Amino acid sequence: MPFLDPMDIAQLGSLPLKARIIVEGALTGLHRARLHGSSVEFAEHKEYSPGDEIRHIDWKAYGKVDRYYVKQYEQESQLTVHLLLDASSSMAYSGDGVGKLEYASYLIASLAHLLIGQRDRVGLSVFGDESIDGYVPPRGRPAHLRDLFAVIDQVNQRGARGSETAAAALERIAELTRRRRSLIALASDLLASGSETARMLRMLRAQGHDVVLFHVLHPDEIEFPFEGLTVFESLEDDRKLLASPQVIRREYLRRLDAFLDQTRSQCIDGGVEYHLVSTAQPVEQTLLDFLTSRVKLTGNRPAWSS
Amino acid sequence: MEFLAPIMLVGAAGLLIPVVIHLIGRQRAKVVRFAAMDFLLGSRRKTARRFKLRELLLLVVRALICLAIPIVLAKPFASCEAPGPRVAHGPQAAVLVIDDSFAVMHRSAGVSLIERIKEQALSILEQLGPQAEVAVVFAAEGTETTTELSRDHLRLRDMISGVRASNRPADSNTALRHAAQLLAGADHQRQTVFLLSPLAATGFRGESPWSVGNGPTLVVVDVVDREADPVPDNLAITDVKVERNPNSGSRGIRVTAGVANFADRDVVEHEIRLRVGDAIVARGLISAGQGERQSKQFLATIPPGSRFTDVVVELGDDGLAIDNRRYLRIELREEVNVLLVDGDPHTIRHQDELFYLEAALRPGDRSDSGATLRTATVDELPDIELDNFDVMVLANVRAMARERVSRVAKWVERGGGLMVALGDNVDADAYNRTMQPLLPQTLKDPIEVAYGSRGSERAERALRLTKWEDEHPVFAVFTKDAPGLRDARFHTVMLLGPTTRVDDRRVLARYTNAAAALVEARSGQGRLMLLTSTVDRDWNDLVIHPGYLPLMQQIVRFLARKQDERARELVLIGRSALLRVAGDDTRLEIRAPDASRMVIEGARLTGRKYMRFSDTHQPGFYRVLAAGQSGEPRHRVEADFAVNVDSRGSDLRPVDAALLPVADQSQAEVGQAKHKRRVELWHAIAIGLMLLLLVESVISLRWARI
Repeated sequence: MPFLDPMDIAQLGSLPLKARIIVEGALTGLHRARLHGSSVEFAEHKEYSPGDEIRHIDWKAYGKVDRYYVKQYEQESQLTVHLLLDASSSMAYSGDGVGKLEYASYLIASLAHLLIGQRDRVGLSVFGDESIDGYVPPRGRPAHLRDLFAVIDQVNQRGARGSETAAAALERIAELTRRRRSLIALASDLLASGSETARMLRMLRAQGHDVVLFHVLHPDEIEFPFEGLTVFESLEDDRKLLASPQVIRREYLRRLDAFLDQTRSQCIDGGVEYHLVSTAQPVEQTLLDFLTSRVKLTGNRPAWSS
Repeated sequence: MEFLAPIMLVGAAGLLIPVVIHLIGRQRAKVVRFAAMDFLLGSRRKTARRFKLRELLLLVVRALICLAIPIVLAKPFASCEAPGPRVAHGPQAAVLVIDDSFAVMHRSAGVSLIERIKEQALSILEQLGPQAEVAVVFAAEGTETTTELSRDHLRLRDMISGVRASNRPADSNTALRHAAQLLAGADHQRQTVFLLSPLAATGFRGESPWSVGNGPTLVVVDVVDREADPVPDNLAITDVKVERNPNSGSRGIRVTAGVANFADRDVVEHEIRLRVGDAIVARGLISAGQGERQSKQFLATIPPGSRFTDVVVELGDDGLAIDNRRYLRIELREEVNVLLVDGDPHTIRHQDELFYLEAALRPGDRSDSGATLRTATVDELPDIELDNFDVMVLANVRAMARERVSRVAKWVERGGGLMVALGDNVDADAYNRTMQPLLPQTLKDPIEVAYGSRGSERAERALRLTKWEDEHPVFAVFTKDAPGLRDARFHTVMLLGPTTRVDDRRVLARYTNAAAALVEARSGQGRLMLLTSTVDRDWNDLVIHPGYLPLMQQIVRFLARKQDERARELVLIGRSALLRVAGDDTRLEIRAPDASRMVIEGARLTGRKYMRFSDTHQPGFYRVLAAGQSGEPRHRVEADFAVNVDSRGSDLRPVDAALLPVADQSQAEVGQAKHKRRVELWHAIAIGLMLLLLVESVISLRWARI
């Protein structure tokens, strides 16, 4: 089943619906995933000793080897996930397609939908506009999903603005997650503070958190397809540039590639899961790639098991 | 700046086109709100300024292009006052007469006249325009280089640029005549001769090249800055004379240099030097008023052992250097070859006519006596090659046959020196009949002044020498009261009759009765001397007096002066030098002062006694090397010769304008002409336009790839 184009997703109704469709689409593509929500997982066999629960004796093993073995289970704890959505002004770029903020919102909403569905505690931190408190603390209740979607909807309606960097938002999260290891997922274009953000991500990873970066860029930013004399106006400030795109394309792409290479290598070196995401790519695909990479990372266990 | 077609300037409004396009282009740029500005500006921070600069440059260049096109079409020009004559542009025939005489080497304010001439000639050629048929004629005397009328201005430019001053004087009239001949064959109505010259009067010799109205238009371009320097200063050596100076010994010479000041101001204490060989042997100072000629005399001694010597008289630096040196090649032979013809030979030695004379000319028969003697009788004369001798003495010789006399007379005319001494064998009538060509004066009868007297009376009645020309080289060694001469007694002397045809007869000494004792005359290039007494004791006792020996030696040396006069056979630049060819010469090599070589060999030498060498284009000493059958070249020092500039060309005083065939005499005024000159500017602007187009292309293409 082909994934939906982000433009088509945008045409759908409410954000919860979009998130559900995206998640279902992604899960359909994840053939081998084991995501049925077993809360108790078999870990290993242990020779029975007095005091062990009899109900845990593996009778099949007794039948085979004539000795008592007790099945030990790994109790899956409730995962705390912090989702960070970059809503700074640079995320406002949309070109002719879906905007970066819009795309990142779908992605974050889908993740929230997926995680809440598994009873995980999901928090949201929207950054960019320093004047607005976009933090939603982690909760595991299904009703919490509404709160999350409401914030995401609100951000989308307000539009991308502000200049708060992802690094600053991550610093706040680091303070909040000091006591408990969490999964931290960041969706941002990193244009405001690329290297600082990568440094913060590595620091969080070093603190024991699972860190995922969705590096969201618009195809226009990746390919720079502009033609003809163009006035480029900054989304973040009042800088302007009148230029012939074909004249400056090579140098721009060289610098962008260098930036992407540097960010990617910093993330990978620091154990941060890095996903370069084009807004032209279906959101389901992005989610699927993420889930697939988690499965590869953790074997057959659920992608976010700790 | 003015314009030939100012209407075209309307097109300058096109200047607005690129500006408008530029502004419209800015407005039409689409706006993109973009996030990754850091990368844009990061990449553009280096190039943004260049991009703006490029845009600005393109705008300026394109605006200039749009401006330059109508300006070029409007043909702008500027007017300025330019040195040089007014030159008509367009189809015509013109001849540039370029004075390349040595006078144009004159330097004033660091610039030589030839440079000015070239500059003016190129300017005229340019102004004449490509449709003009132009020829170039050179004005140095004897110059054969010339061109036909041609439109190949490129070649003419090269030719003019390569002009160098020759070493010859100017002959402007001949050059102008030649120019008129060239123009006579031209079809054009407008015919002009441009004379570019310092206009030295000496260059306009002979008749005017054409009469006014019967020839082409003459435009005179005077290259001398008359305001600063009306007459170019020039001090020149015009003549140098070298004579023996017995007072300084046998190798003493007296060098007399003639110096002319051709300037219009006095020259005070200008340095003059005498160079013998490679060394400066004398220095002096010379002063001359404006237009004056002065002479400077140097006394010097030729170094021993050198028969031929290079002598140079040179002046200190002035505006024209080439005529500051005069070169002479002198031959100073110590040995004088004397042929003694004995008219009264005697077997008893002391009774021989030549006994005392031989002893006087070759005292002690020493080899360093300065004379080589050969004694002969009259009958032996026909068999003797007279050219081998410098001096001949006919001592008491009977009158010779006319043919013998004629042979001797021709030898004298070629430069020989003859002394005739009398005696008993001399018959005055016979001498007057046949020997007249050899006599300064006719002879009359001898008189015996002490006839019939004896002892002291005879001594008292004898004649003595009383007056002699003490400034004459023969008597220069004697004091005014020389007892060695004055005490001698002459018993018999020959009286002289009327003067013969010989020139420059001069009585050098007289007896107490006023009769001539020693008479000198010139015959052709040679000299005659007549002693009216004997050279032995028959008619006088001079031979036993101390004055006899120096007198005879001085007479012989004086008569041998012809050898010194070889030095005065000057060869001027462009004239030919006569080279003697020996019988076995197979090759002659002449080395010019600049070390260039000219070889004459083979058939050109075969059977010839003399050879004319005409490649005398430089002043200085020319060396002659001869190779005989052996093929080994040997320096023939006696054939070396000196070549000098013709000092006629040194006089740079300007010609009288009335002598020039110019219809409008106001144009003929000697002075630098000036005219209003139109300088076309559109060529330069068109070139600028091309460059602008090139720059525009480079900026558009090259910078587009940044």
